[in-house]
Amino acid sequence: MADLEVHYRLRWPIALEARFQIRGFTALLGESGVGKTTLLKALCGLIPAEGTPYSGLPPEKRPVGYLPQDLALFPHMTALENVAFPLSGRGKGEALALLERVGLLEHAHKRPQALSGGQRQRVALARALARKPELLLLDEPTSALDPVTKGRVLGELVDLLRREGLPALAVSHDPLLAGMADWLVVLGRGRVLQEGPPEEVLSAPASVEVARLLGYENLFPARVVPGGVEAGGVFLRLPLPPWAREGQGAWLGVRAAEVIVVREDRPPPEENVLEGLLERFYPEGLAFRGVFRGALTLEVLLPRHVQERLGLAAGRTVRVVLKPRYLHLMPG
Amino acid sequence: MDPAFWTALLLSFQVALLASLLLLLLGVPLAWVLAFRAFPGKVLVESLFLLPLVLPPTVLGFYLLLFLGSDGPLFRLLGVSLAFRFEGLVLASLVFSLPFALSAYREAFLALDPNLLEVARTLGAPRARILARVVLPLVWPGLLSGTLLAFAKILGEFGVLLMVGGSIPGKTQVVSVYLYDLVQALRFAEAIRASLILLALSFLLILGVRLLERRWRTWRSTTG
Repeated sequence: MADLEVHYRLRWPIALEARFQIRGFTALLGESGVGKTTLLKALCGLIPAEGTPYSGLPPEKRPVGYLPQDLALFPHMTALENVAFPLSGRGKGEALALLERVGLLEHAHKRPQALSGGQRQRVALARALARKPELLLLDEPTSALDPVTKGRVLGELVDLLRREGLPALAVSHDPLLAGMADWLVVLGRGRVLQEGPPEEVLSAPASVEVARLLGYENLFPARVVPGGVEAGGVFLRLPLPPWAREGQGAWLGVRAAEVIVVREDRPPPEENVLEGLLERFYPEGLAFRGVFRGALTLEVLLPRHVQERLGLAAGRTVRVVLKPRYLHLMPG
Repeated sequence: MDPAFWTALLLSFQVALLASLLLLLLGVPLAWVLAFRAFPGKVLVESLFLLPLVLPPTVLGFYLLLFLGSDGPLFRLLGVSLAFRFEGLVLASLVFSLPFALSAYREAFLALDPNLLEVARTLGAPRARILARVVLPLVWPGLLSGTLLAFAKILGEFGVLLMVGGSIPGKTQVVSVYLYDLVQALRFAEAIRASLILLALSFLLILGVRLLERRWRTWRSTTG
C-alpha cells in the first residue's frame, strides 16, 4: 500500500494546519470540535483548503471515496442502484461485482432502510469503490454501528480495505479504532499532536493532551527528581526519558488497568507502593472499577478474578503498586 | 346541470392548470434560491412573496386590476390590457397562489439532506445526473403536493378573480363566481348541486396532497 503525505491548511470554518502521513488503515483521533470532519471534507474538496494532495481540484475530479458519518446512501435507490450511481450507465455488471466483493450480493435489491448498520456501511464502501479511488475517507465509521457488534463489523471493514490494498483515513474519537489501525494520528486544536504506529502512540503519548484523548484515566502533575519523580508528596521510581531535567515539572500518566493491587500474602514489592482506602468500587461489565485514595487518587480497573481472590470491596484499606514500566512521563 | 356550470368549471380548470404549470416553472427555481442562497434583503423579498397570504383578496384584486387595466402601467408599457381576460385571470392566480406553492417547494428543498448532494459530487457525478437521479426523485412529491395545493386554491378563489376578471359568462366567469351569481339570482337548487360537486373535487385534491406528503415522509425518514 502506498503511503501518502497530507499537508492541508484551512482557514474556514476552523483554522487548522494538518501535516501527517496516511499509511494503510490510518486512524485520526481527536476530540469533538477540533475539525476532524472539516479536514475530511477539505480532502474531498467540499471545503476550501490549500495543500497537497488534490488541492484546487473540484470534488468531482478528486480520486477519493468519502463515507460521511451518516453514510448518505440514496434512500430511494436499492443497494445495487446506489453502487451503480458513479458508474454512469455502463455498470450494472460492475456494480454487482462490487457488491459481491463486499459480500452483499444477496441484498442487492434492498433499499438502505432494509439493511443493518454494518450492511449499509459496506454498500457505501462499494459505492465509493465504484469510482476507483486512490484514498478512502471515513467519518466516524463506528458511530452508526450497534455497540455490541461494532468491534467485529469494524474488523471486517478493515480486513476488506487491506484486501483491496486501499489506503484509508478514518476520523473518530473512539479509541477502539486506534487499536485496529496501521498508523495513528492524533489531532488537537489547530494541529497534529502526534503520529506513529498505534502501539507506540498508545503506550507513549507525547503530551498530556494526547494521553487524555487516548483514555489515560490517571494523569498527575509531577516534578522530576533523581531516579524518578515526586508526585503528591511521594517519590516514584521510573526510568527517566532523555528530555527530563531535575526539578522540571512534568505530567505522569498511568492507565487504570495498569494500577496493581498488592497481594498481602506475597512478599511486598520494594518500591512505588501506596497505601490508602478503596473509596468507591463498582462492577463494570465483568470487571471492577474503583477509586483509590491515598497519597495519590487513582482510578483502578481490575479483572474479576483479582476482586474475588483479594475479596475487594468499597471501604477496604489496600496497597497499590505503580510499576515503573507502566508509568509514563510527559513534558509539563 | 346548467351547461353554464360546466363552462365555468372548465374555465376554472384551464386557469388553474395553466397557472400551476407556470408556478412550477417559476416557483421551483425561486424556491431553490430562497432555500439555499443568501442575499441582501432576502427577508424583504420573502415577505413580499408571502404578502398575498394576508392581504384581503379584494385589495389584491383591486391592485391587480389597476396594474393590468387599460389605464395601468402594463397598458402604457405594452399596449395590452389583461383585465377582464383569461390571461389576466391566469396572471392574478399566479400571484395569489405563489405563497402557497413557494412554502411547499421550499420545505421540500430544505428537507433534502445536503450530505446526499455532497456525496454525489464526491462520487464524480455531473450536476445534471445529481439533479435527475438524486434531487428530483426526492423532492417531486413535495413539489407536486405544493402544486396541487396551489391548484386547489386557484380553483376556489373568488375575490381576486372577480375583481380582475368580472363575471363574463364563457370568458371570465369562473366557477366560484358562477356560484355567487346563482345565489344572487336565488337559484338555490342549482347552487346546492354545484357546491356539492366542488366539495367533492376539493376533497379529492386535498386527499391527493395528503397521500403525497405521507409518501414523501416515508422517504425522508429513511435518509438517516
